[in-house]
Amino acid sequence: MLTREGIVRLLRDAGLEVAAEAEDAEGLLREVRQSRPDVAVVDIRMPPTHTDEGLVAAQSIRAQHPEVGVLVLSQYVEPSYAMRLLEDQPGRVGYLLKERVFDIATVIDALRRIMDGETVIDPTIISRLVRRHRRNDPLTRLTEREREVLGLIAEGLSNRAIAARLFITERTVEAHSTQIFLKLGLSESADWHRRVLAVLTFLRS
Amino acid sequence: MAATGVGALAVAEGPGRFTTYPGSSAPIAALTLVTGFALAGAGLLVSFTRPGQRVGDLAILAAFVWFAPVWVGWQDGPAQVVSLGMVVAGFTFPLLVHAALTRPDGRLGSTPVRALVVAVYLEAAVAAIVLALVRNPYFDPGCWSNCTVNTFLVRSVPPLARLVEVTDRWFAVGAAAAFATACAWGLVRNSGPARRALAPVVGPAMLLAGAVAAHSIALQQIPVEDPANLAFISIFVAACSAVILLGAGLALAALRMRSQRRAVSRMITSLGEAPPPGSLESALAQALDDPALRIVYWLPGAQRYVSASGGFVEEPAPEPGRAVTTLIHDDRPIAVISHAGTLRGLEREIGPAVRLGLENERLQAEVLAQLDEIRASRARIVETADAERRRLERDLHDGAQQRLLALSFDVRLARAAAEENGDGQAQAVLAEAVGDAQIALAELREIAHGIFPAILAEAGLESALETLADSSPVPVEIHGAAGGRPPAPVEMAAYVLVTEALNDATTRRATRVVVGIARERERLVVTADDDGTTRTSSMIAAADRVGAVGGVLEVQPTKVRADIPCA
Repeated sequence: MLTREGIVRLLRDAGLEVAAEAEDAEGLLREVRQSRPDVAVVDIRMPPTHTDEGLVAAQSIRAQHPEVGVLVLSQYVEPSYAMRLLEDQPGRVGYLLKERVFDIATVIDALRRIMDGETVIDPTIISRLVRRHRRNDPLTRLTEREREVLGLIAEGLSNRAIAARLFITERTVEAHSTQIFLKLGLSESADWHRRVLAVLTFLRS
Repeated sequence: MAATGVGALAVAEGPGRFTTYPGSSAPIAALTLVTGFALAGAGLLVSFTRPGQRVGDLAILAAFVWFAPVWVGWQDGPAQVVSLGMVVAGFTFPLLVHAALTRPDGRLGSTPVRALVVAVYLEAAVAAIVLALVRNPYFDPGCWSNCTVNTFLVRSVPPLARLVEVTDRWFAVGAAAAFATACAWGLVRNSGPARRALAPVVGPAMLLAGAVAAHSIALQQIPVEDPANLAFISIFVAACSAVILLGAGLALAALRMRSQRRAVSRMITSLGEAPPPGSLESALAQALDDPALRIVYWLPGAQRYVSASGGFVEEPAPEPGRAVTTLIHDDRPIAVISHAGTLRGLEREIGPAVRLGLENERLQAEVLAQLDEIRASRARIVETADAERRRLERDLHDGAQQRLLALSFDVRLARAAAEENGDGQAQAVLAEAVGDAQIALAELREIAHGIFPAILAEAGLESALETLADSSPVPVEIHGAAGGRPPAPVEMAAYVLVTEALNDATTRRATRVVVGIARERERLVVTADDDGTTRTSSMIAAADRVGAVGGVLEVQPTKVRADIPCA
């Protein structure tokens, strides 16, 4: 079963330090306050109602401790949940589907990116967003390739990883992302921040 | 009647010139005559406009008796006439009390009122009989108009006669006070139209009571009733005015009752063929000039009272100044009418046409009440089903999904072990199993979402519709907002509507769908327009959902519009 103990064991086996465990939102916030981890891994379903307590707790962590990243594990393919995480405090968050946990390499990569201040959104959600057909969509201004690149940015991939994935040069990826930021009106901010805002636009659209 | 009056006038002008009030002067004579005729006229009017009403007979009888004191003053007239006059003269006041306290339905009101009327009749009868049997006018020191004749005299007992006379006066004072109190109480406990209807009778009645009491007290002070005395003349004039006004008041009440009755029987024709629920109540309230009038209907099936629109209401209880009339048909109640207290006997006023109207409206109310019940039960069924779907969705996540995740983990471990052991065949099979488990997880997630969209309950209609639009094969545009969170069943109805509209648009090869959400006061309006071919589906699922929350769904060839109340 996907228990807290199971995830802790996986993370420890992968060589990560697990600072603390908590069984509900209250305990989670207390532990975060005390041990100040790099990233908190949060299940979206928590007692008492098992609805969105995890999401609320994740938002509190981001608001109270901006230096602590949050990775939310969810069973819902819902861009709006991921967006709720990003809206108040952009960056340093991740939203992954639960089954991703067993692909430990993905998890560790995600945790690392979150620590670097980036955003990690589950590929299932990204692919749904890329596939969608919306009329009033700001992303319609982007070319097919630019949308693809933006999706990979949202997944949390670096420019180099994107270049490798799409079989193009890193310079081309940079050119694409500049175009993306320009088209979404994000030219003024620092690079990492622009990436986060672009992801937010991507989710919100 | 005319003979009695004119004869009395002749007596007053001739032999009774010095002993009777009308004999004292021409104006007083005219006043006496006018008073008697006014009373008689009012009585006749009441009898004609409202046949079978006792009030008319009482007034006519009182008019006859009114002239009795004048006949008593017939000096040297036939002994029988004078003696009879003495016996009946005392009944004027009881008859007028009876007429004034009789309600429009012909009955006396409460027990105290009934007791008062019986008491004044009884006392008048006892006094008349005793005086007729024992009073010898010849020995009466206070005699005036007739000091000689009493045909009925059995044995003269002057002290007893004196005692009865004095007692009669004090009783008259008490009875007048009680009469005035009864009248005043009638005014106090009624209000609005009821009080306005009572006033023309009750006002003069109180004036009459004052005159009667004053007359008795004056007699106690001045033993001889001399019509030339200013005090007696004043009291007499007051009494005449009171009686004339009382007669007018009784006639007015009768006419008003008749016009109300006509209005009631006319109103049913003014309602038209298919009057909306409650129009009978407002028509009856208008016809009877009683804005507070209420009609409720008895539903034997539900054993409850309902209003015309089918809503359950309390059984109407009589309040001060208001009365409740139950209309019975075939031994079962049809309707209960709460109305002004003066409209007692309403049941008799309501003709067959109005009864039919009431019976129709009762049937209509019954249907509406059942409709309400069905609507509520449909909403409950939908809500229960949604709660069950929600539970299933959670069970899938907590149960099947967790097990599948665990299985997926175990298979990964096995694959890693196979890799370590260099078992390529097992590794390939297990790698495929990992893929299958991923697909199973994705499918399970889709199924759970299909059973109940958790996002709808947790993040609201807009987010849920965004997700819906994301997975739609037809491009979707969403405009507007729900303006806060409508009740869960309303959100669900709107969600189901858009789901069905998107599916339908897809089958009709639409290239775009425009979804609109708007909050218009307490209503949520959801629209979905597309550019597909003409619709063949009637959108049953959406219609059921929207109907279950009391909304209306309009289905057009390429448009749907739901208007759902959010209250």
